[in-house]
Amino acid sequence: MSAQLRRPDPGGASNPFADSPRLAQLAALTRPELEAVQLRKLRRQLQRLHASSDYYRTRLDAARLDPGALTTLDAFRQQFPLSGKADFMADQTEHPIFGQRLGIQGDQVALVTMTGGTSGKGQEIYGRSQRDVHMLGHLHALPWVLAGLRPGDIAINCVPAGGLTTGGWGPGEGLRIIGATAFHVGGTLSTDAKIDLMLGIRDVNFIYASTNYLHTLTEGLLRRGIEPREAFPAMRTLFIAAEGYPVEWAERIETLWGCRLQEGYGSTQCVGFGGSTCADGVLSPTGGRGLMHLFEWETMFEVLDPHTLAPVASGEMGELVVTNLAIEGSPAIRFRTGDAARFVSHQDTGSGRAWNAIECGTIGRFDDMMKIRGNNVWPAAIDAAVFAHAEIADYAGRVYTSADSKTEIEVRIAFAAHAEPAEDAARDHFIQSVRAAIKERTNVWMTVIVCDRESLPEFSYKARRWRDERQQGYRL
Amino acid sequence: VGSVHNAAEKTAQDHQILGDMLVQADRLCRSRDPLLKGQFRHLRDRIAALLDLTAPLVSDETAPLASSETAP
Repeated sequence: MSAQLRRPDPGGASNPFADSPRLAQLAALTRPELEAVQLRKLRRQLQRLHASSDYYRTRLDAARLDPGALTTLDAFRQQFPLSGKADFMADQTEHPIFGQRLGIQGDQVALVTMTGGTSGKGQEIYGRSQRDVHMLGHLHALPWVLAGLRPGDIAINCVPAGGLTTGGWGPGEGLRIIGATAFHVGGTLSTDAKIDLMLGIRDVNFIYASTNYLHTLTEGLLRRGIEPREAFPAMRTLFIAAEGYPVEWAERIETLWGCRLQEGYGSTQCVGFGGSTCADGVLSPTGGRGLMHLFEWETMFEVLDPHTLAPVASGEMGELVVTNLAIEGSPAIRFRTGDAARFVSHQDTGSGRAWNAIECGTIGRFDDMMKIRGNNVWPAAIDAAVFAHAEIADYAGRVYTSADSKTEIEVRIAFAAHAEPAEDAARDHFIQSVRAAIKERTNVWMTVIVCDRESLPEFSYKARRWRDERQQGYRL
Repeated sequence: VGSVHNAAEKTAQDHQILGDMLVQADRLCRSRDPLLKGQFRHLRDRIAALLDLTAPLVSDETAPLASSETAP
């Protein structure tokens, strides 16, 4: 879709800054004012942690930082040491359950969450106070109100609720404190059952889903011959998180649903969302990718070169480092997330606000990278190449060692309903087009084969499309 | 500019109300009723979070943190 084509109207999300006096105040902050808020909150946070957390007191003392005498953010950024997953894991191993970073009394822990464990390096444990639980809700409500959700709206939450993850509890808290009527369908209903429920409701205003699951839901509707924009005329906002996507996919989703696609960046360490597209959507008005504007008065962000640890320039990719300014239980202070994002300075966002931003649709993981034939390959890059083809419903990939000890990469694609070319020649041409798109983005030729849609796994939250089986090939 | 100023005034009023409520909620938290004590605590800390969320943005010093530590 070209920039000239008319995008869906943002509807109720047209100007959240006019609707909310508090948002208007935050939008009016100058950069020095915003940084003054950060400094005051940071000083307060560090003073509290110096008194309540051995983990952080040790770090403050080693850095010779007196929280009460902290006068600049730069002094903090230059002197306070970074923490990473390994530091948190060691802390909680030496001082179970929560480690010395907890920062509140054990009997004040009202919610326990853990990271997913997908890294294979253990699960971090976080203890949150009742006050933090409200902040968890607020840090979901904030991006959703910015995106158009209003009290009384009907919301469908496709992310599995409850359990031990932050993402399992935050949406419920956020929707409750907004005053929306929420259906938490994630993980409890099949895709077809969700569709049946939504058709019965009809006046759905808001959907929250992982990028992957919004794709699955849309595909499920189309497979049943249902046009989303006709079936759900009251839909105002589709809100996604957790995974990257190609611009072409976002354009198709907006067209199919007839409303704006919005995105947020969040994590356990952010205790919800750290930034969002506000009302603007994931597509830039001038074409290409939009921006997620960071909620820097609640969470301080640095975007650093992962090797030199120097701040990256506007427009460059770097690793997100977060500092909670308003969380008291298990706060993250200068925590390396491992998340890769393209940083955009507030001066370059064109929003008129003093909030820094990161690019939509390209958040990745530094530790997701696969080294294939000497090339650094991120699954997000292959997602972008594959899903740029509207005919593809989903795919799965694997890297393995062949019988003659060569590295091979197989991409199995499944066509969307009624999208498979009837002629062999057209089908071969299509496969070559997908191969070329992958090669262009990764510098690696991969084998592309067609499979049945049913043979591919379905994910209710974050997709795990890739398996690295190379070590299995070395077994004797 | 005027609307932002009005918004700041309104938020300051909300903040004042919440500060008064926190004092009252701290009193509730002295309860020894095992059924209600936790619920009072839940209410109290929701107020504490809202107090922080409505704190003045532009000032010489922010209000002290309304933490999970209840008043003695």
